[in-house]
Amino acid sequence: MAASEAQLKDLMGRSFGGDRRAHEELLRLLTPMLRSYFGRRVRVATEEVDDLVQEVLIAIHTRRATYDLTRPLLPWVYAIAKYKLFDCFRRTGAAPLRQELHETDAIVEFEGACSARMDISAMLESLPEKQRLAIEATRIRGDTISDVAEVHGWSESDIKVSVHRGLKTLAARFGGAKA
Amino acid sequence: MNTDELIKKLSSDASVVSPRALEKRMLLGGVSGVFVSAAIVILWLGFRSDLETAAISSAFLIKMTYTAALAACAVAASVHLMRPDAKPAVWFALPVIPFALLGLLAMTEFAGAPREAWASIALGQSVSACIVRISIISVPVFLGLLLAARRLAPTRLRAAGAAIGFASGSLAAGLYALHCIESSASFIFLWYSLAIALAAAIGAIVAPLFLRW
Repeated sequence: MAASEAQLKDLMGRSFGGDRRAHEELLRLLTPMLRSYFGRRVRVATEEVDDLVQEVLIAIHTRRATYDLTRPLLPWVYAIAKYKLFDCFRRTGAAPLRQELHETDAIVEFEGACSARMDISAMLESLPEKQRLAIEATRIRGDTISDVAEVHGWSESDIKVSVHRGLKTLAARFGGAKA
Repeated sequence: MNTDELIKKLSSDASVVSPRALEKRMLLGGVSGVFVSAAIVILWLGFRSDLETAAISSAFLIKMTYTAALAACAVAASVHLMRPDAKPAVWFALPVIPFALLGLLAMTEFAGAPREAWASIALGQSVSACIVRISIISVPVFLGLLLAARRLAPTRLRAAGAAIGFASGSLAAGLYALHCIESSASFIFLWYSLAIALAAAIGAIVAPLFLRW
């Protein structure tokens, strides 16, 4: 289960105060989240995903002064991840598909919208079964779409549509009260 | 290096970060730049000889108010854009207000003057010197802010570069006003604005080359 916004934000606050253990814990908890973020977006070898994850960890560490303690942490983290992702696309010359770009934005917006002390699983409960399962699998656990398709016996486009609709519903429902 | 080792290494030198560290760094960069730019104005151009009496003239106050208002918006925008999750903010639209107000003032100036005087009101005596000098004076401020920005995390590099250029241009124009003897609002409206816009454009082109991280 991914670490919650409140927990991570608290760790960052303590890291600002010079607490090395909290800093280490923060980077450790963010690692799988970043790995899944890149794993879903880059079709390359795992070493390259690891390189990206490490680049982001270093940036989080050396540029943490750019985090505003009064704002949610995850949108800040994913903004760095997104920058590094696009930097990687720029360097390798691989253009991201428009659909992925759109989803990248949607997920960052969505994460920003729901980061304010809301429990993700409680929100997902409000969605139809299929959308909930699709989002949990592809967005939270980081499974690939083809894996999910095999497990549940749905078509890949079916899953993509479910994820998209589910995120849209959630963004509409919880994105209204943006900080 | 594997990720575990990296995390250990990074955490071992995690020191205290001030909650206002970003603002402090930008302030330090900007203020250092302003000092160097001020030194250039003093040593190279010198203050206008009548500065003491001119300091209360309306033209001088307009120059100061106009450049200070633009600089305030531009500095705020620059600081804002140093955060990776920055979204476009109101700071980008605010400079329109001083620009429009000064534009109105310039128009009343033209309306109250005979047609034959328009050219001399608009062009003054030092158009090209004004633009060239403001551009030169803006360089140290630009470098100060750029150096500070390199350690921060802008993700909209072109916008950040434009904001830094805009800030250094308006601060340089304010410093140049200590030397410049032009006295019409139209001159300030046309040529100060142009010099500042030029600095912003150069910032948008040049800064992204140095801001990648």
